[in-house]
Amino acid sequence: MIWNHFLLAAGISASTWLLAAFIPKRELVRNGLVLIGIASIAIFIGFLWISLDRPPLRTLGETRLWYAFFLPIIGFLTYWRWRYNWMLYYSLALSLLFLFINYMHPENFSKTLMPALQSPWFVPHVVVYIFAYAFLAASSLVAIRGLYQEYKGQLQPKIMLMADNLVFLGFSFLTLGLLFGALWAKEAWGHYWTWDPKETWAFITWLGYLVYIHRRFHMPSKFKSSLWILALAFVILLICWFGVNYLPSAQFSVHTYSQAT
Amino acid sequence: MNKNTKSLWQSPWGYSESFLLTLGLLLIGFALEFTVGNASFGTIVFPYNLIAGGVYIFLIALVYFLIRKKTVFKFLSGIPASIGAISGLSILVVIMGIIPQIPLEEKGIVTSLGFNRLTTSIPFLFINFYLLFILGMVVIRKLFPVKWKNWGFICSHLGLWITVFSAGLGSGDLQRLRMDLNENQIEGRAYDDKGNYLDLPLAIKLNDFKIEEFHPKLAIVDNTTGSLYEATKPSMIMIEDDLICQLHDWTIIVDEFFVTSGRIGDRYYSIIDFGAAPAAKVSVISQKKDTVTGWISCGSFNRPHESLKIDERFSVLMTVPEPKRFSSEVSIFTPDGQKQEQTLEVNKSFTVNGWKIYQLSYDETMGIYSTKSVVEVVKDPWQIFVYIGVFMMMIGSVYMFWRGSKVKNEETLNGVSN
Repeated sequence: MIWNHFLLAAGISASTWLLAAFIPKRELVRNGLVLIGIASIAIFIGFLWISLDRPPLRTLGETRLWYAFFLPIIGFLTYWRWRYNWMLYYSLALSLLFLFINYMHPENFSKTLMPALQSPWFVPHVVVYIFAYAFLAASSLVAIRGLYQEYKGQLQPKIMLMADNLVFLGFSFLTLGLLFGALWAKEAWGHYWTWDPKETWAFITWLGYLVYIHRRFHMPSKFKSSLWILALAFVILLICWFGVNYLPSAQFSVHTYSQAT
Repeated sequence: MNKNTKSLWQSPWGYSESFLLTLGLLLIGFALEFTVGNASFGTIVFPYNLIAGGVYIFLIALVYFLIRKKTVFKFLSGIPASIGAISGLSILVVIMGIIPQIPLEEKGIVTSLGFNRLTTSIPFLFINFYLLFILGMVVIRKLFPVKWKNWGFICSHLGLWITVFSAGLGSGDLQRLRMDLNENQIEGRAYDDKGNYLDLPLAIKLNDFKIEEFHPKLAIVDNTTGSLYEATKPSMIMIEDDLICQLHDWTIIVDEFFVTSGRIGDRYYSIIDFGAAPAAKVSVISQKKDTVTGWISCGSFNRPHESLKIDERFSVLMTVPEPKRFSSEVSIFTPDGQKQEQTLEVNKSFTVNGWKIYQLSYDETMGIYSTKSVVEVVKDPWQIFVYIGVFMMMIGSVYMFWRGSKVKNEETLNGVSN
């Protein structure tokens, strides 16, 4: 019963979004299709909530549904405000990926998350981080391009404007992700911040982009130093994302999910 | 440009002076940490933290009135000073991110400089005071004269100031205690991490402790060392009814599985009894098609554990199940004679008389038969101020998302690379 409804909802989302991807020029129709796809997931979540008689936040499959719901919403808002088409398609593709994982692994709907992860803060914490990383990764691609142009001696100032806006948007999501995490930790464990290695590196990442933003604001006409700060900040972000597990401090982290569970 | 025409410490100050100030602060901090150590200061508690906070705010205001007309105010509330302070904090946090933050027995350069407990070290304290001072100057500069267009800036910067200030000062007033609740008993005392008992302005009676567990998992262990065999991943597979799975080089078939069972004679039967443990009958088929069949059980506090020897080197066993969810049905009594019925669960805390009650743990050796629930009670009177700061920063972030880059376009487009 629930499974059939899931197939229906996921099918509607997948087909509307694929259709939307093929008509990028007809904006009104395309946006309408995107919204229909989002609405179909929303209706399914509502249906699930009523039939389970509890907020659907307890299992892996249920949290993936929320990702699939929130990603396109933020992607659409970002597109609507900033006209970044790639962000819209990126969020739709990720959302479809989450729906597809649920389709491939129906048992995810019965797999319970560990109690600490069953929190309403969990989903927004992860979703805004996905967006932050996407924007910041994009900004560092721009930085690499800028550094290459600089090396060739033909740096175009326009490229800095692009990097700036991507960093500002990415940083706003990064801050929200950090704060959501802190509120969640306070609600679940009674501490905002425990200087867990992952948290420490997330904070260093935040500080890195903070330096970039201030430097740009202070010296808008100097590019080279800013570009290097941006490149360095992304290296820190990668350490935070992948590298933390290999550091000596990581053995005491609550954020390492690699152990077989 | 500036750096070629002006010598160090000549007004107006810039990046060089900012970084030197930060570096000096760090060096003094580490020197003090090395010589005096942090034994001289403990955490400050109410009312001293309130007084210290008031004095600090007063000092910031005083400094502002003394220097607001001078060029040094422009420096202290400017971006170079901010970047210097942020970089100083970054250095400390990077150290914290690399060196494990745990107490060490042996004395060495790591312990004497406080690298293994940075958040309680003197340089960390100094940098935070410095950062709050600079941030305070920045906020004051934007705050006066009041301009509506600055609201996003004020939200993010003042929000950060309030958050760091109140979380830092409030940490001494945070009380985090534990209570052991036993079914059908009333408990009114809690203990701290040193084992000292304190009376609380509330009492809790545990009516029922509920726990659900995941199914146990299959694993292969080395007979001689007793350690988990991890040649391939996954090295553990959760048991289901009629499961057929591949674990390393063996195919394992679950013929029968009982969540609660007891051994009678040569086999297990599904029974419901105090301490009844999970058990499964498994067939293990090796690559040479040799089959070994037998019963395994993870046992419980009152039943033995049983594994199945596959060959000379390895055995298959059942792991102790992990908790899926657990909760406590409690009655909470307060001195005003009121009684409230609540369910405490991980992530679902309950607040009464300024104390927040969290489900923490249970008697893990008893597993699903635990009649003990461990809860944590936390009192954090400064929380509201931290939340105000956090929500201001959130508003600032949303503003930032909406507003986008504020870096000046014309200057960027006219800029030259250097």
